[in-house]
Amino acid sequence: MPESSELVRLPDGVALHARPAGEFVRAAATFAAAIEIKANGRQANGKSILEILGLGADGGAELRITASGDDAARAVTELAGLVQRLA
Amino acid sequence: MSTEQHVALVIVSHSTSIAAGVAELVGQVAGPDVPIVTAAGGPDGSLGTDGGRVAEVLREAVNGNGAVVLADLGSAVLSVRAALKELGSAVDSIVLVDAPLVEGAVAAGVMASTGAPLADVATAAEAAWNARKL
Repeated sequence: MPESSELVRLPDGVALHARPAGEFVRAAATFAAAIEIKANGRQANGKSILEILGLGADGGAELRITASGDDAARAVTELAGLVQRLA
Repeated sequence: MSTEQHVALVIVSHSTSIAAGVAELVGQVAGPDVPIVTAAGGPDGSLGTDGGRVAEVLREAVNGNGAVVLADLGSAVLSVRAALKELGSAVDSIVLVDAPLVEGAVAAGVMASTGAPLADVATAAEAAWNARKL
């Protein structure tokens, strides 16, 4: 199964809390690929808002976004872009 | 706007403030497409549950695209169960979930915002028990 991964940095001052995490999940849900985020040595299902909130990722934190599935490459590109544009 | 395409959330609470706060939070996180209705407080607005209001809200929810119901404590759950019983066979499109209110509503709301079907929205709410905060 195709897999794709990218390391992105949350913008400074933008923690991955409820509203941005909701944006992420809504975008992630549009892909068939399984999405995973790693941050702070933790791992979350990219389609579960509560798991993402549980990462406790603060502004400036590095996120490893990994997707596996047919649309993995497109998913990672789009989600990495979304994270960098969070404000 | 897309009421027909999204599963709705029904928040049943002893407190109008809790219900309004949960609805506000879910609206922020899940976006504007997910219909959220509340049945909260006693008939006089005090803390409590109003079986009539719960039944009315659920009757309205039957006409939508399915609804997931989250309740806060004991008698709120009981009043939902009583209302569902009253509605009888029409209630296939309404699912009372066993979930923590805030976390379950946020998880269900975000899932509903993706256009997911009723069963997936209900599962998202109940999976909230497993999400650690720390």
